[in-house]
Amino acid sequence: MAGVAGGNDFQWCFSQVKGAIDEDVAEADIISTVEFNYSGELLATGDKGGRVVIFQHEQESKNRPHLRGEYNVYSTFQSHEPEFDYLKSLEIEEKINKIRWLPQQNAAHFLLSTNDKTIKLWKISERDKRAEGYNLKDEDGRLRDPFRITSLRVPVLMPMDLMVEASPRRIFANAHTYHINSISVNSDHETYLSADDLRINLWHLEITDRSFNIVDIKPANMEELTEVITAAECHPHQCNVFVYSSSKGTIRLCDMRAAALCDRHSKFFEEPEDPSSRSFFSEIISSISDVKFSHSGRYMMTRDYLSVKVWDLNMENRPVETYQVHEYLRSKLCSLYENDCIFDKFECCWNGSDSAIMTGSYNNFFRMFDRNTRRDITLEASRESSKPRATLKPRKVSTGGKRKKDEISVDSLDFNKKILHTAWHPKDNVIAVAATNNLYIFQDKIN
Amino acid sequence: MDCTFLTLRVSIAEERGDETKQTKTRRIHTTHDTFQGHVRSMLGRGVKRKWSCLEELEAEGLPDAAEEKQQSASDESAESGDEAGLLPPRSDMSHLQQRQLVLGLCLEKLQRYQAGMELSLRRSVLLINTLRQIQEEMRSDGVGTCTSDVLLNGVHPDSCLLRDDFREEDMPVTCPGCAEGDAESLSPPLSPEFPSPEAAGDQQKPPPAATVSTFSDAVNAMGYLSDLALDDIFEDIDTSMYETSDLPSAWSAGSLWPVSVSLWPDEDVKMRPGSHSSAGSLQSCLTDLNELDHIMEILVKS
Repeated sequence: MAGVAGGNDFQWCFSQVKGAIDEDVAEADIISTVEFNYSGELLATGDKGGRVVIFQHEQESKNRPHLRGEYNVYSTFQSHEPEFDYLKSLEIEEKINKIRWLPQQNAAHFLLSTNDKTIKLWKISERDKRAEGYNLKDEDGRLRDPFRITSLRVPVLMPMDLMVEASPRRIFANAHTYHINSISVNSDHETYLSADDLRINLWHLEITDRSFNIVDIKPANMEELTEVITAAECHPHQCNVFVYSSSKGTIRLCDMRAAALCDRHSKFFEEPEDPSSRSFFSEIISSISDVKFSHSGRYMMTRDYLSVKVWDLNMENRPVETYQVHEYLRSKLCSLYENDCIFDKFECCWNGSDSAIMTGSYNNFFRMFDRNTRRDITLEASRESSKPRATLKPRKVSTGGKRKKDEISVDSLDFNKKILHTAWHPKDNVIAVAATNNLYIFQDKIN
Repeated sequence: MDCTFLTLRVSIAEERGDETKQTKTRRIHTTHDTFQGHVRSMLGRGVKRKWSCLEELEAEGLPDAAEEKQQSASDESAESGDEAGLLPPRSDMSHLQQRQLVLGLCLEKLQRYQAGMELSLRRSVLLINTLRQIQEEMRSDGVGTCTSDVLLNGVHPDSCLLRDDFREEDMPVTCPGCAEGDAESLSPPLSPEFPSPEAAGDQQKPPPAATVSTFSDAVNAMGYLSDLALDDIFEDIDTSMYETSDLPSAWSAGSLWPVSVSLWPDEDVKMRPGSHSSAGSLQSCLTDLNELDHIMEILVKS
């Protein structure tokens, strides 16, 4: 697969944008997670209103060969509703924190969605036939008096318009006291883990009434609490291995074969702090917001506030690669702290061949890094450049000194427009970028 | 796929009453099961257990961390000194100003929670760690600069500024409002505009030893209050708390009380303005009870 940036490789061009154009955005419409399924045929988004929208890739049409297939709405359903915890007098938001697809095993698709407290397993299936000719029920669907039925009719299956149904198959509730930040389906395809601020639970996909607490970092005395779990993920191939990241910038790799309780990690990944760049915000900006294994399972990537790091699982003392996402914000940390942006949780993702990585920034900018060429590029998800097949122009932020033409100064960045969630198609150069309430889909330009 | 999950599956089958008899399945636990001294719950909302190995780690880690912070503090002042070139006192001030700003915002952020909404634990922990770092730095500063400054008693050209600065900083950190249950004195240091020197001067400066403990009380009162789940609280309850009428000891067990704050945050502020802090609700409850008794007496007699 080609690299990320322009030059000799290829260029990214606009493909689609989903969501309303309205200036005033309804809070419920803000996209809170984006996820391709294993084949890339389906793309799911979750929003703050608790809805899940699934887009399906439609095959390219023969009469318009320059247009690769588009993603169109396949199914929309309300996954979570707002709830109220009467015991604690607290609202439980319906916001979808994460969506994870299960590998497809039959005609139906399955996904897990979670809000702060409850995980749900959804089945998305198609129906294009219906049974007709029942005489046990009347037209309203009420059962008829059996004494008045004189003959038995065998119903027949009649074709009908395709209907996509989403039905909740399992509800995994009451296992998390704190906010769930991650769910991850294990490579055995039978179990998954869910992580909140202080604990990680292991579930069987079929069993909702119990889970196994595999990590618990809650101190006996909450006053001693100095660290929380920020993300967790299962290894893509070894079903006994998982990692979790912490607010102190460290990553722990655990092996479930070593012990049932993984409080003792097998590996501990931490980069020594550079004393010259220490400030009041050192700990806040080193807090890891996302951790993702590479598809190969050899590496993992972590995102902290200013950078993204690639770690070799065989080397714990420092990352093998570090990419600065928006280093120009280092001098602005005080105001980012003041307006709470410093607590934003940016996610990151790999491309299908693990040769490139992508993560978001402010001002609707997102960044891509080519691991081979070490080239990086800043692109913008904006309505202005959203003409069909329009090439995305690389953006530059001026870092001190004189602002060159086409550059944007740090002070004019819009910190309300942030790209926290992105997803890369597992096989193709197609990316999905969530910008507030809009979902942008970009693809490489076919020459 | 591997032994771990074999055991898992088998144990689940067993639990469901299938015919499989596996003796090595230890991964299923009911609420009362213990495993390696830890209580693990399957159905409950995650039962809390001991810190175990991490406890030791942290115990070892703490002094180091403190040292590191002091180290960093000196690093930082050295660094800011470099930036400002030949004007070390001024650059020192800018560092202090930034610290003051960060501190004020920290406290403000911790205090400004939305009623009925659960705080982000990650954010609270990061804020409180920042507070702790600043406190550590101030304590190390306080030994050096502050005392000498006080001794000089205004002779030093910068001392006036410095002294005010320190007083202001001391207020939010020691947080007398929290400690003494006085909401009025609590609010000014939390506002982004820092308290006037007069107001700060009126406050009695607590001795350094008390500073630490009151600070941690303040942190407890603000930080994790709504993160404490009720089920955890019930497990955590130290019954010795109820056996003593000694207020300070109840205080030290204090992180329980903020729960009442999280439940009725507004009433706490509105209904008892200026008389009791949210954190001192135990005391206020007692007072309220006494008042109620009194009122009842009057009512009954009349």
